[in-house]
Amino acid sequence: MTVPLQQANILIIDDFQGMRTMLREFVKSMGVTKVDTAGNGKDAMNQLRMTKYDIVICDYNLGPGQNGQQILEEAKLRKYIGVSTIWVMVTAEKTPEMVMGAAEIKPDDYLLKPINQGLLESRLEKLIARKLSLNGIETAIKARNYPAAIAQCDQQLEAQALHPQEILRIKSDLLLTIGDYETAKALFDSVLAARSVPWAKTGLGKLHFHAGEYARAKEIFQEVLAENSMYMDSSDWLAKSLDALGDTEQAQQVLLDAVKLSPNSPTRQKTLGETAYKNGALDVAQAAFEKTIKISEFSSHKNPAVYAGLAKVFSDKDSPEEALKILEQSKSAFKGNPEAAMQTAAAESLVYHKIGQSEKAEAAMANAERLMDELSGKVNADVAMEMAKSLFKLGKKDKACGLLRNVIKNNHENAGISSQIQAVFESEQLGAEGLALVNESRQEVVNINNQGVMLAKEGNLLEAATLLRKAVENLPNNEVIIMNLCGLLIGLMSKEGKNEAMVLEAKQLLDRVQDLNPANKKHHEYANALARIAGDK
Amino acid sequence: MAQEDISFTDLIASAIHDMKNSLNLQVSSLEKMAVQCRQRGDASASESLGLIIYQANRMNSNLIQLLSLYKFGKSIYPMDVAEHSVSEVIEEALLQNQSVMDFKGISITVDCAENCYWSIDRDLVTGILINALNNAYHYTSDKIRVAAKIDKGFLEMRVEDNGKGYPQSLLLNDGVSANKGVNFASGSTGLGFYFSSRVASMHKNGNNQGSLSIENGGAYGGGCFVVRLP
Repeated sequence: MTVPLQQANILIIDDFQGMRTMLREFVKSMGVTKVDTAGNGKDAMNQLRMTKYDIVICDYNLGPGQNGQQILEEAKLRKYIGVSTIWVMVTAEKTPEMVMGAAEIKPDDYLLKPINQGLLESRLEKLIARKLSLNGIETAIKARNYPAAIAQCDQQLEAQALHPQEILRIKSDLLLTIGDYETAKALFDSVLAARSVPWAKTGLGKLHFHAGEYARAKEIFQEVLAENSMYMDSSDWLAKSLDALGDTEQAQQVLLDAVKLSPNSPTRQKTLGETAYKNGALDVAQAAFEKTIKISEFSSHKNPAVYAGLAKVFSDKDSPEEALKILEQSKSAFKGNPEAAMQTAAAESLVYHKIGQSEKAEAAMANAERLMDELSGKVNADVAMEMAKSLFKLGKKDKACGLLRNVIKNNHENAGISSQIQAVFESEQLGAEGLALVNESRQEVVNINNQGVMLAKEGNLLEAATLLRKAVENLPNNEVIIMNLCGLLIGLMSKEGKNEAMVLEAKQLLDRVQDLNPANKKHHEYANALARIAGDK
Repeated sequence: MAQEDISFTDLIASAIHDMKNSLNLQVSSLEKMAVQCRQRGDASASESLGLIIYQANRMNSNLIQLLSLYKFGKSIYPMDVAEHSVSEVIEEALLQNQSVMDFKGISITVDCAENCYWSIDRDLVTGILINALNNAYHYTSDKIRVAAKIDKGFLEMRVEDNGKGYPQSLLLNDGVSANKGVNFASGSTGLGFYFSSRVASMHKNGNNQGSLSIENGGAYGGGCFVVRLP
């Protein structure tokens, strides 16, 4: 926010009339003239939709209906509030949700009751100052210009800005996002030299996780939790590490403990559902998926995979009617979303298959396959793998293999996805066949890529471009090939001069890669090179 | 709802939530009344109101301490140690006690560098300071000094007053840990000391642990409440 407190547009949300009046009097006495109030989530959402507020003061505990965090998430999702809005959550007591790293969408600050005017004014003034100082960083992050955001962090740190450690923490998140693990490690180490700070130590654990050192990562997350049992970020990553180590029972336990402390994270509940399903703990899985659906109704976490997961649970519990009912709900919840329709149809097919209604099962699967074709390979790997599992169950082994082959080709350097696919084959008792398929598919892409590089080296740049263009068309999700084509186009233009069509093509390739993986290492380098060629810089 | 569905923690938390709302409104209305009294020159009413507000503030801080201690006991307190500006934490603790200090004509000085940052659980340390200020309010003649500095790997925070100081018995028995029974004469339950020393010891860094002590002396020669956090 860029206006002084007195000119700010303020919304107060509290279910208690007395508190609303008191808070309104406080801000009016500060010289604020534009103040609205709301007594529940619905009213609040209406006000937020109609007016752009600079400051929202929201009680966390609003009685029945949405709580303050859910209002915040819905307002963010619907874009009623932006990065410049200051959101202050008022609570009577501290909860695990307030601890840093617990929620993905966080208010700017928490204010514990009792509140008096002096305290509120002092806090609001400080938040305005902080917003102002972080404005540049937040704007860059929103534009997904991570290198610029990092540069801004460095500037602030050099200028000895307020709250240096907060800036370091933001910077470390950015470094992890763009995959600069080396700089991130140096940052964590330097913070940890002074004391064991939970965010820095958790960050260090994440680095080990990314390096595939799951056992070491697990130890670190356990240490963080021994020191700070409420640091939910670490407990989520501990569960991830355990899962990667194959200890899904233990992962389930960690997640169960975590949702007891902090039950309102859709991502955590969904992971619990998936993990419990893997372990055959159907009751736990059901409860977790149901909770996920309930709390993500208005959030960006609303996900058709959760409905499909819940349907599978019901189907395994021999309640096919319940399963089909959930899938009907999914259809109405995700109208006009072909990827969701595909997932729902595949799940439906499995439910019918289990109760022996093979005609309906076939029809649903045919529908899913048609939707899959329409999406022309642009579905994400998780969705495709789920689809393949369904195809295997229906005895359509060839189609399943074809689909998985495509997933590998789109992600030929991603070891995690290869091992997940291997696990799918193993659960179908097709381990050896799976291994061969994975290796073969990878090699195919490597060959195309090598051929392209060879052509380029020989100076046949145009021919190389034609080859890679065709490869990108077939493998629209393959980062490596997309970036190689982009690099080739940049090379071509720096040799033969700028070409508008090629600049546009390269830009689209870069956008595509950033959608696929914001941590792509070459993105920044190529984006800069392209900007120079295009004359933007 | 079945009996076992109701969590005792939730019940306590929501009851305290409710009580704090009431207290918050009470204090804010009382403060408004006190200002009106002062404006029309009614010093004695304004002074009485000041005392009532002080008691309401104490009640509130007791509620917070009880709920926190309950949660420490059950290991469900969301401890959140992060770097904070110490002068800001002090400023906010003072703002919460501002009106009662004004009524009693107590002047407060703060001695803390602007760029003093330390890793603490902000809410718990604010709780310690408010408790110490409530004590100092009770014992002081008219001056309180809040000082904070970093010394050999510890943050040392002191709340000093210019009263008569702590009685010898309290100092000798290490009042902080021994003061367990309820003293009906002074109204002290030992809750504040117990809470503060628990919070101090929950702050750890490597092999070091926070601690709490009381002494007489300091800048004004009165009682000193000292907390050291690693």
